[in-house]
Parts: sequence; C-alpha cells; structure tokens
Amino acid sequence: MMSEAPAQTSAPALAVDGLVVRYGGVTALRGLDLELGAGEIVGLIGPNGAGKSTTLHAIMGAVPAHAGEIRLAGKSLRGRAPEAIARSGIALVPEGRRIFAELTVDENLRLGLSGRRTRDGGEEAVERVHEMFPILRDFRRRHAGTLSGGQQQQLAIGRALVAAPDVLLLDEPSLGLAPKIVDVVFDALGEIRRRGISVLLVEQRAQRTVAFADRTYLLANGEVRLTLTPADAGDTDAMVHAYLS
Amino acid sequence: MSGNPLLGALDAQTLVDAVGLGAVYALMAVGIGLVFGVLRLVNFAYGQLIMAGAYTLAFTSQAGWPTWAGIAMCFVVVIVLSGVMDRLVFRPLRTQSPAVMLVTTFAIAFLLQSVALLVDVRDDTIGEPAASVASLNQAITVWGLEVRKVTIVAVVVAAVALSLLALLLTRTRIGLQMRAAATDFATARLLGVRANTVIATAVLLSAVIAAAVSVLLTVQNPLVAPDFALKETIIVLVGVVVGGIDRLWTATLGGFAIGFATGVINGALPTDKTVFLPSVVFALVILVLLIRPSGLFARGGTSLVERV
Amino acid sequence: MRRLDPWLQLAAPVLLVVATAIVGSFTARATEIYFLTAITSVAIVVAIYVFVGNSGVLSFGQISFVAVGAFAAGVMTVPLDSKQGVLPDLFPLLRDHTIGDVSSLALAAVVGAVFAFLVGIPLMRLSGLAAGIATFAVLEITHNLLREWTKIGPGATTLALVPETTDLTRAAIGTVVVIAAAFAYQRSRFGRSLRATREDAAAAQAVGIDVHRQRLWAFTLSGALAGLAGGLYVHMLGSITADQVYLELTFVTLAMLVIGGITSLWGAVVGALAVSGLDSFLSEAEQGVGVGAATIDLPQGARLVTLGTLMALVLVLRPSGLTGGREFRLPRPPRRRVAAADGASKEAAREPV
Repeated sequence: MMSEAPAQTSAPALAVDGLVVRYGGVTALRGLDLELGAGEIVGLIGPNGAGKSTTLHAIMGAVPAHAGEIRLAGKSLRGRAPEAIARSGIALVPEGRRIFAELTVDENLRLGLSGRRTRDGGEEAVERVHEMFPILRDFRRRHAGTLSGGQQQQLAIGRALVAAPDVLLLDEPSLGLAPKIVDVVFDALGEIRRRGISVLLVEQRAQRTVAFADRTYLLANGEVRLTLTPADAGDTDAMVHAYLS
Repeated sequence: MSGNPLLGALDAQTLVDAVGLGAVYALMAVGIGLVFGVLRLVNFAYGQLIMAGAYTLAFTSQAGWPTWAGIAMCFVVVIVLSGVMDRLVFRPLRTQSPAVMLVTTFAIAFLLQSVALLVDVRDDTIGEPAASVASLNQAITVWGLEVRKVTIVAVVVAAVALSLLALLLTRTRIGLQMRAAATDFATARLLGVRANTVIATAVLLSAVIAAAVSVLLTVQNPLVAPDFALKETIIVLVGVVVGGIDRLWTATLGGFAIGFATGVINGALPTDKTVFLPSVVFALVILVLLIRPSGLFARGGTSLVERV
Repeated sequence: MRRLDPWLQLAAPVLLVVATAIVGSFTARATEIYFLTAITSVAIVVAIYVFVGNSGVLSFGQISFVAVGAFAAGVMTVPLDSKQGVLPDLFPLLRDHTIGDVSSLALAAVVGAVFAFLVGIPLMRLSGLAAGIATFAVLEITHNLLREWTKIGPGATTLALVPETTDLTRAAIGTVVVIAAAFAYQRSRFGRSLRATREDAAAAQAVGIDVHRQRLWAFTLSGALAGLAGGLYVHMLGSITADQVYLELTFVTLAMLVIGGITSLWGAVVGALAVSGLDSFLSEAEQGVGVGAATIDLPQGARLVTLGTLMALVLVLRPSGLTGGREFRLPRPPRRRVAAADGASKEAAREPV
C-alpha cells in the first residue's frame, strides 16, 4: 500500500549481474555487474561509448540483454516489455529529457502516472512534485516545448517521480544546462534521496558525481573499471588515468 | 446578379452536398489517422472494413431483421474484424518499413474483397441490396434546398463523433497516452504506457467509426458490391496525406477538404467535362504535395525531417 | 568464382525467363497463355523494380507508363482501314497513320520514357508517403484521361483489333531486353549512386550525389521499360481497356515485387514468376486439376481468396521477400573452410557428368 516506502527485502533495490548487450556485431556491455542498495545514490561515469546509456536502456528493457540478469528487489526483469518494467517500480529520466513538446506541462506530468503501481494517490504525487519544482505548477498550462532546458529537466524528473518508483534512473540530467541549473538538479537529487528512493545516476561530470554519490562505478569499454567513493573525488589523477586506460 | 459563371455554379445546393460528402470523408480520415498515429501504418484495408459492415446491413436486411438490429450487428462485425486484423496482421508488422506495411494492407484489402465476392456470387448476381436503411435517403426541403436526410445525419454523426473523440483524447488518461504514443511511442512505453492497450484502443475507435461510415454510405448507395467504399477509401487516403497525416486534426481536415473540394469542383465543372473530375482533383493533389510535402495544414518543416 | 558472380546475377534471371518460355512452348495452346502472362509480368515487375528497388521510394505510378505504352502501341497498330471506323475521334495524326508492331514496341518505350521524364521532373523531389500519394495521383490522372479522352484512345470502350504478335519468343526477347537494361543500369555509376541514396540519402548528398537527378534517371528508364512491357502486353492480349492497366495490375505487380524481394533484380523476377505460376495453377484448379493421384477442385472465386491469403502470409511472415532482397548467387559453403569448399565444388562439378 505504501508504495513509496523502501523495499523491505534484504535484496538490493537493483542488481545487475554479468549483463551482456550486443548491437549487431558490436558488444556494448561485456559482463557488467553493479548493485544499488535501498536509498543509495550510485553514480555511473565513463568516457563516451563506455556503455552508460546502454546499461540504463537494458535495465528498462528498451534494448535486449544478450546474457546476464537484472533484478529489481530480487525479482528478475529480463525479457519484460519496457512498459511492464516501468510499472514495476523503476523510472527513467531519459537522455535529452524526451518530454512531449506539444503536450502541456501538466499533461507531461500526468503521463508519468502511467507507471504507477496503484490506481490512487496520483493527485498527491503530482502535488509533491509541484512542491519540489514550483515552476511546474506555475507553468502547468504551457506547452512543454516552450520551457527552458532546465525547466524541461525538472519536468522530466517530476514525470518520473509521480510514478512513485523505488528506483530512479537518470541519464545525464545535467547535460547542456547552465552551472546554476545544474545545482538545482543536484539539489533535487538530494531531496529524492531523502524520500528513500534509490538513484542510479549516469553523468559526464565525473568529479561532481563521485563527490555526490555514495558510490560511483567508472565504466570503460562495456565493463566496470573502478569503483570510487566520495573520498576519491579529490584524486583527479586516478580518474584521469582510468579514463585514459 | 450572377456575373461569374463559375461562381454562379457554386450555389447553395452544391455547397450543401459538398459539406455532406466532406463529413463522411472526414470521419474516414479520422479512422485512418487514429491507426496511423499509433502504428505508423497506412491501412489500405480500411475500406474493406466498411464494406464488411455494408454487407452485414444488406444480409440482415434481407433476413428481415429490424433496422436497429442490423446496425448493431454491423458494428459488431466491423469491430471484430478490425480486432482480428490488428492481432494477425498489424502486430507482426509493427517493426516493418512503411512500404511493406502498405503493400500488406493492400493484400489484406484484396483478400477481403475476394472473400466478399465469393460470398456475394452465391446467388449468381453481384451486389446485395440493403433495403432497410434506404429510407434515410429521402430528400426534405430546408429553406428551398433539397437536402437528403442522410446528409443531415452524416453531418450530425461526424460532428458528434469528432467531438466525443476530441473529449476522449484531451480529457481521459487513455487519450493522453494515445497522443503521447503518436508522437514518441518509445518514450511513452518507458513511462509505463502499455503499447497493446493504446493500439487496441485506437483500432477499436477506428472500427467504431468505420461501422458508422458503413451505415452512412449504405444509405446513399444501398446496392452493396465487393468494391464498396474502395473509391472513397482511396480518395480519403490521398486527402489524409495531403492534409498532413502526422496529426489527427490535419488528417481529418485533409479528408474533409478533399471531399468538399470534390463536391465543389464537380459543381463548378461544365456538365460535359465532369468525367474529368478525377484528373482535376488529382492534379490539385500533386500541386499541393509539391508545395507542401508534409501536408497542407501541417506546420512547416518539422514533420518532413522524420519522413524523409 | 567471385568474378563470375555479376554475370550469374544476369544469367540466372535470363535463364529462368528463357526456361519458362521453352517449357511454355511444349504445352497446349490453352495453357500457353499462362506462360505468356508470366513472362510479360516479369517485364512489368522488373521495370517497376528499376525505380522502386534502386531508389527505395515507393511508387504507385509505374503502371501509368505501362498503360501509355500499351495504348500507344495498340492505337498505332490497329489496321488503318478499320481504325477510322472504330476510333473516329482520334487526333488526325493518330487516326491516319499505322506502324509495324516492332516499331510500335520502340514507340511504346519512347512514350513511356518521355511521360516518366516529364512527370518525374517535379515529382522526384518528393519522398516517403508524399511520393507514394503523388505517383498514385499520376496513375489516377492517366487512367481518367485514357478512359474518357477519345481523341487519344478508345475511351471507355475496349481497344480491339490490335495484332496479337507477342508470342513466347517475342515475350522472352522483350523481357530479356528489360532484364538486361535493368542489370546494366544497376551496375552503372548511376545505379550505384542511386542505391547509395537509398541507404542514406543525406550521406549520399554529402558526397556530391544529386538525389533528384539520380532518381529522375531511374524513373525515366523505369518508364521506358514499363512502356515496352505495356507494348508487349497489348500485343499479347490483342485488346485492352483502361481498367486493365489500373489498380488491380498496380496491386498485383507491386505484390509480386515485394513477395520476391523489393531490393533485387532476382527478387523481381522470382516474385513475378512465383505469383504468376501460383495464379495460373489456381485458375486451373477452379476447373479441376489433377495433382498426383488427387484431384483438386476449387469453387469459383477461391482463386483470388487463396492468392490473397498466400500473399498476405508471405508478407507477414517473410517481409524481406522470398529472395531476402538479395541477388542470385550459388549456394556456397562457409568461407572459413576454404579447403573443404574447394573439394565440395569439385565434387559438385563432377556430379552431373
């Protein structure tokens, strides 16, 4: 009933084991392992083409996994349709935000309700998102396409949150945003963590992500190269080295 | 008073008939546009759904069913057939190229037409009369104009159906999901929008409209043959693309426009030249497509990029 | 082996057509018409393929060029003494002249090419659905004019008294010419450029290919070949109406192309022959035909239903067509085992001896 409470099982909120994804002859992920505990924020960084977005897409069922296992609170997600995965307590904030420019802000937000596991409670969820991002209430009747990049990003995050997920996946939420707006996004992530939602954050801003997240995986060439803690955030040499290797 | 002979021909009578034709075409355009929106599939076999409905009206009428029962049966047959088409044909084709999808629906149209022929010729004549609905075809006089009852019914049905559809699309959750799916199906699914539900709803709505069109067209043309509604479907498909198939309302407007234009040009052409009506209409179609390839009513540029 | 491949890609379809003609020549007069129809269908489908297959742009208009070819060849070969009687309204130029049937085929090709070129100049700027609908509009206009305008043809009546000169030999020669032209085109610089635009129009444009011009060449060649095919068609039938070269023929020939595999010459030929063969068999079956010990006797009208069902099935289950859209090639063992492959091919070569 309390869908927003953290999972009670001892299994991690999200676990990926030996995930392999191939596009035609190209192997994008070669046996990826990662784990996301309840209420944790985990970062995923790495150079372009390392397989960060592919990981998120494979979790969501948008690209087929060749081998390996993906579990949400212990239950396997493999082979399920994207909409079924979205309705099982996991939400994605896609790269480039992918908001519906011709729908209003409110309609975009309500579209996120499609991912809820229960019929009721939608209005409260929208209300809570309005509290977190007041701009979405002020501009509720505007076409989403008229919002600025930062506002659209807030809308994309809000749209994912109204589904009341246990796990939130974000694909480069700070991409193309002004530094001040990036702060707003990271503040929101902190607020989301306080609500007990586990977050898997794909980012280009390596240093900031490492400092912010509980743990950060550095991906290269389709596998985890390093696991970093906030203490490593100052150690730029190690990171640069990992990127270049 | 009447200086220009061309404008003189465009009297109120012509306009009334043109509006009636436009209303039926607009309904068909909505039916085709709904399915295109979620499936990106131009359903050439839409006309054969209408044909199946018309045969249902004819056979129930011959069997002595009351008119309302025949109409109800017509809706049932069209909806069931449409659902079968979605399950057996559209679903396996979802990921195919538009050319393959279009040719396949062509094949389905051909198949259904052949089945109709097989059923129709059992009595050794082609064509089955649907007498029970023909009474709607009588004319009444309104302000000195001859208006057939079916014209009024067509305009009313089109107005009501389009308003209900607009309400459904803007006021309900499934409507919102359908609009989102029509713009970006992949993202909609990632948000938890069920693909099968959305598609099934679009197919169902499209079938309900096809059934309504069956009744309207059968009233106007009570002798039902295997090529019933074929010509209308072709013209509407053209109108839908000319109007702008990427959006439901531009597609609908395109359907209405081509029906209305056909009516008006037909009235404006000299009597001995009306046989060339198709040439004039289709030349106009080519002209519009050359000037605005993404649709007459489409907003400039954006949709063209996707299509190329 | 590799160097032989291109010639096999030409030889295989040509041999298939010639073989069809030879088999047809041994059959009874009543059955021969099926073989004639099949071979003429190959010509039409290959003509469509030249544009649709190479450009990737769907056109519903190519049957217009078959139609003008058929009517040009037909009207110009009706004997003069009867022409003034049956076609009195023709333009004097058409009414008072008659040409031989071989030159009428050349005329059909020229008329088809000129018509396609003129139509193509504006239309080749379009692609996708807009192109599909615009070419369809061309078909509608052509049909409407041929059907109603008695100055250029018989109007709504049947154009009769056309000499029936397309026998199996002529049909085969004409169709082989069409196939050879299609082959030469797709091997040429023009053909390769156009196929590049099919894969990625933007990239092709970036390397300096003029998409509009390349499409126009293919459209014109396709028009010429379709016109020629139309000429063969009308001389096969001996009479023609505007309705015979309209929607149904458009649908059937496009279905043949898609069923065979839209992107290859081999697919066009295989599709045309497979569907024609099936259609002929079903027509016979409606009369009752013996297959082995059993006799198949289909009810009237079942032919169309069966044909439609089978076409729909192929399209749904194997949308890339029977050939997968690839050119003909000999079955070849996997490349890794070169030594074994050599042995196998020697063995295969020895076998027929």
